[in-house]
Amino acid sequence: MMLKNIRRNLIGSLVIVLGTMVLVPVVIFVWSILAFLDAATDEKSKNFKGIVTERWRLPSQMPFAYAASLSDGAASKPGDVKPEDSMTWQFYGGTLDPEKRTRENSLFAIATEPRKLCTMMDELDTLPPEEAAKLDEAIQEMERNRQAIIMGQDRLAAVNKRVGERIKLYGINYRDLDLELEIVGTFPEGRYDNTAAINRDYLLAALDAYERQTGKPHPLADKTLNLVWLRVPDSEAFAQVAGQILASPNYTSPAVKFETAASGIASFLDAYRDLIWGMRWLLAPALLFTLALVISNAISISVRERQTELAVLKVLGFRPWQIMVLVLGEASLVGLLAGLCSAGATFATVNLVFGGFKFPIAFFGAFFIPAEALAWGVGVGLLTALLGSVMPAWTASRIRVSEVFAKVA
Amino acid sequence: MLKDLTLNVPEGDFLGLMGPSGSGKTTLLNLIAGLDKPSEGQVWVGDERISSMTESQLARWRTRHVGFIFQFYHLMPVLTAYENVELPLLLLPLSARQRRDQVLTALDLVGLSDRIRHRPGQLSGGQQQRVGIARAIVTDPTLIVADEPTGDLDARSADEILDLLDELRRSLHKTILLVTHDPRAAQRADRVLHLEKGQLVEQPEVLHEAAGARS
Amino acid sequence: MQISPALWIPAAALGAAAGLLVWQGRIPFRYNVRNLVVRWKTTLLTILAFVAVNSLLVVMLAFVNGMYQLTDNSGNPANVVVLSEGATDESFSNLQFTDAGELENHPQVARRHGRPMCSRESYLVVNQPIPDARPGRPERRFLQLRGLDDPGLSAAIHDLQLSDGGSWFSPAGVRQLPGPGAGSPDSPPAIEVVLGEGIARELGRDRSDQALQAARNRERLEVGDVFVLGDRPWLVVGVLQSSGSTFDSEVWAKRAIIGPMFGKETYTSLVLRAQDAAAARELKEYLNLEYKQAAVQALLEEEYFASLSQTNKQFLFGVIFVVFWLAVGGACGLMNTMFAAVSQRKRDLGVLRLLGFARWQILASLLIESLLLGLVGGLLGCALGSLCHGVKASSIVSSGHGVAGKFVVLVMTVDVDTLLLGLLLSAAMGLLGGLLPALVAVCRRPLEALR
Repeated sequence: MMLKNIRRNLIGSLVIVLGTMVLVPVVIFVWSILAFLDAATDEKSKNFKGIVTERWRLPSQMPFAYAASLSDGAASKPGDVKPEDSMTWQFYGGTLDPEKRTRENSLFAIATEPRKLCTMMDELDTLPPEEAAKLDEAIQEMERNRQAIIMGQDRLAAVNKRVGERIKLYGINYRDLDLELEIVGTFPEGRYDNTAAINRDYLLAALDAYERQTGKPHPLADKTLNLVWLRVPDSEAFAQVAGQILASPNYTSPAVKFETAASGIASFLDAYRDLIWGMRWLLAPALLFTLALVISNAISISVRERQTELAVLKVLGFRPWQIMVLVLGEASLVGLLAGLCSAGATFATVNLVFGGFKFPIAFFGAFFIPAEALAWGVGVGLLTALLGSVMPAWTASRIRVSEVFAKVA
Repeated sequence: MLKDLTLNVPEGDFLGLMGPSGSGKTTLLNLIAGLDKPSEGQVWVGDERISSMTESQLARWRTRHVGFIFQFYHLMPVLTAYENVELPLLLLPLSARQRRDQVLTALDLVGLSDRIRHRPGQLSGGQQQRVGIARAIVTDPTLIVADEPTGDLDARSADEILDLLDELRRSLHKTILLVTHDPRAAQRADRVLHLEKGQLVEQPEVLHEAAGARS
Repeated sequence: MQISPALWIPAAALGAAAGLLVWQGRIPFRYNVRNLVVRWKTTLLTILAFVAVNSLLVVMLAFVNGMYQLTDNSGNPANVVVLSEGATDESFSNLQFTDAGELENHPQVARRHGRPMCSRESYLVVNQPIPDARPGRPERRFLQLRGLDDPGLSAAIHDLQLSDGGSWFSPAGVRQLPGPGAGSPDSPPAIEVVLGEGIARELGRDRSDQALQAARNRERLEVGDVFVLGDRPWLVVGVLQSSGSTFDSEVWAKRAIIGPMFGKETYTSLVLRAQDAAAARELKEYLNLEYKQAAVQALLEEEYFASLSQTNKQFLFGVIFVVFWLAVGGACGLMNTMFAAVSQRKRDLGVLRLLGFARWQILASLLIESLLLGLVGGLLGCALGSLCHGVKASSIVSSGHGVAGKFVVLVMTVDVDTLLLGLLLSAAMGLLGGLLPALVAVCRRPLEALR
């Protein structure tokens, strides 16, 4: 009977479906962003990464001389803990056209050890086999040819180049330090779409060449190291390494700090705290509220139009709770199915067709819809349908047969 | 639905139309009232060939020339008796004062001057039908068409309505077309026509006219 | 009270059209109102949906307005900002001290008391640990420091003033705090600072309960309050009056003290006040095209801050995206309401046609009814959303290049344009949601409606 009633009340059912399919994706977008940010700022207890940066200043600019010892976690005596793995980052910004620099013809590259791209970079260290093999090929090429560059797909398209082409980058932050590079591969679609990576040996060699040619070091020569990533097995190891770094006399000018990646990201996100609060406690609830209202309205109208039928059901012996369940069931079924379809369509469209969606929070590239979104869609569709239909269902169960038939007569 | 039908209704006539369900009496009423168009043939009311008017022309013509009385009254439930009667006058170039005068006159004629602020839900069936009649006559139309006006009323209320229709014909010289199943209602008419399967089967005083005849 | 032409023209047109329809439509407006009142539950639910959509729109736009106000208010048309060539932001700029001496003596640079109006600045972003962070709050914050040689001159150039009771930091830039150990090597002098109004509140919030109890002003730091950064005490000697600009979120101190302290041995920017806006433009052209003594780039200060509104545009796009889908959802709800209304009043509408009302008049009446729903919901939504006016919120404004940007405290602003936009959106939802049901209603033949 529920299914028949849904078909009969086609307009009402369609409105619920349309409303759900339109509003559920927005809820999913919002929750996807929030879930990602929560995961990024959740302190892990095992197998996590920490970042070494300048203690005080932003941007962090440390001398490259710090790199070797920091990569060992400043371990200097027996018993000191060394990190499981490490990676250095130096940011190089360059443009293809020094006369007319635009967003499209510029890029910021991370100079690092090529092999670390697949062992230390988030998500690149857990790629599916096919993508991992492709990236590995590009990394091997970068190890062979230190003038290689791997680019994100969006950035590659923006500068209008293809894999295999050569480019010359004119330094933006490293003034008068120009690099000639060969594009050897791309990052998989997603988080690194707008990033690029080069071999740090090439940047260091360029700095040395500058000094030889000009007779003096480049202004950024002793500020070239921006970040050092360290992987530690657990919180205890983290605390020990942090202590070793703080206690070391080697890092005084400038002083450094060691914090978890989550903590570092959380500090950055603090500037967006009001925006994130608004998304979590205003936007998402308002979306759910609107959807519940739309559903409630549709079900109320449907109940009013079917008063006679519902009165007849009572005459036939249906009890109030059964009538209530009938109405609740209809709404829930429509909401659940619409929510599931909507979530599925959103997941497929955003992740597979568009390769993520961009939202300007901090340095994050693209956000993806997690698999849990399918459950969210079902939950939201079902919950809002139930909430929206409670009152109309109650009204339906309280229909007075005599009044209805008196009106009809 | 109607076959080879020719009908002449003189001005001021009170004509009854009877027939079984599906005989075409409502269809005939609708043709005369300009609510429908014949697939063949012509319909003239007064000097106007309404069968060749456009929809908007018919709408304007109906406002001025036809008053409807329905079986189920069809009053706007959210408007008062006064406001229901005033509705057709809103389409005419009258001032508010003129509209007021005409509405009050019409309600007075039907004996509801003391109920002008009541909504349909606050009126009995007979009173609602009176409001319907007031609405039908407020624009001083040429023709009043009544489709089963007593069909939803008890005998007493029905008699009152029929008395009112009689009075309107006598005092205002209105041409009235009454569709009814009720023989008592039909008796009030000057003459009664019977329709069966789309054809007039009894037309004692009908003048047969070729196409182009006027009434 | 200024209303953008892009908004008041459609608003006026809509108002005029609605008025004309009501007047010419002839179907009494009270017929629509009473029908809405009779079905009050459905009417209420529909209006609530509009309230939700509209209030959310107003709040989100208020946030974006606040960001735009910050970037729009943060520049003087007669100021020219000089950065090192290639720097995308002050954070990445390095100007030598000698550069300043040459640039400030350009003839187009205005003078005050015989001195060139040139603000020599070192902008730094510093990581400050928060020892008394509340649970759930980060334990570090990014503090924006601006090292200045002459704060009074810089304030004049940036059109900023001190709040009553404050003063600029001394030429030394430091002051010994009273107490035991004063003057000893273990008790270095406090660094004198002037705070922007916004950061004074931020810093004030993150004090321990004990400190808050003893504070003269629990809402913000005041003159005489001390905070810790870089293992040094910092003494507040003045608070800037709120200017609605990015300077509200900055800490000003003596460049000669904080530069070496945080490893910044150069200026990041010079801000030159020209005689007027035309002179500023000439100066900018000169510095970019002709000046060769140092590799610099010059921007009008307004252009510099306008370039920081890239994030504003991105947020605005996000707002439009969300509101569009919300509006579609709300319009669906209204469509259902109107379908039900039209179905219930099938006979009424048929009678109106019979009485002589034209299709367009009935269409207009139904559209006016759905428009009324939309506008009532829209007005209430605007009123609810307006409650956020004046609320302070934090964000970042940036040019979108890399991670550079300014951490700002903005004031959410509900202006007339925002309210008008909310009402226009509600009207559009009302009209679009009611259109299909109205068309279905008028396409029905009157006779069918009466069966």
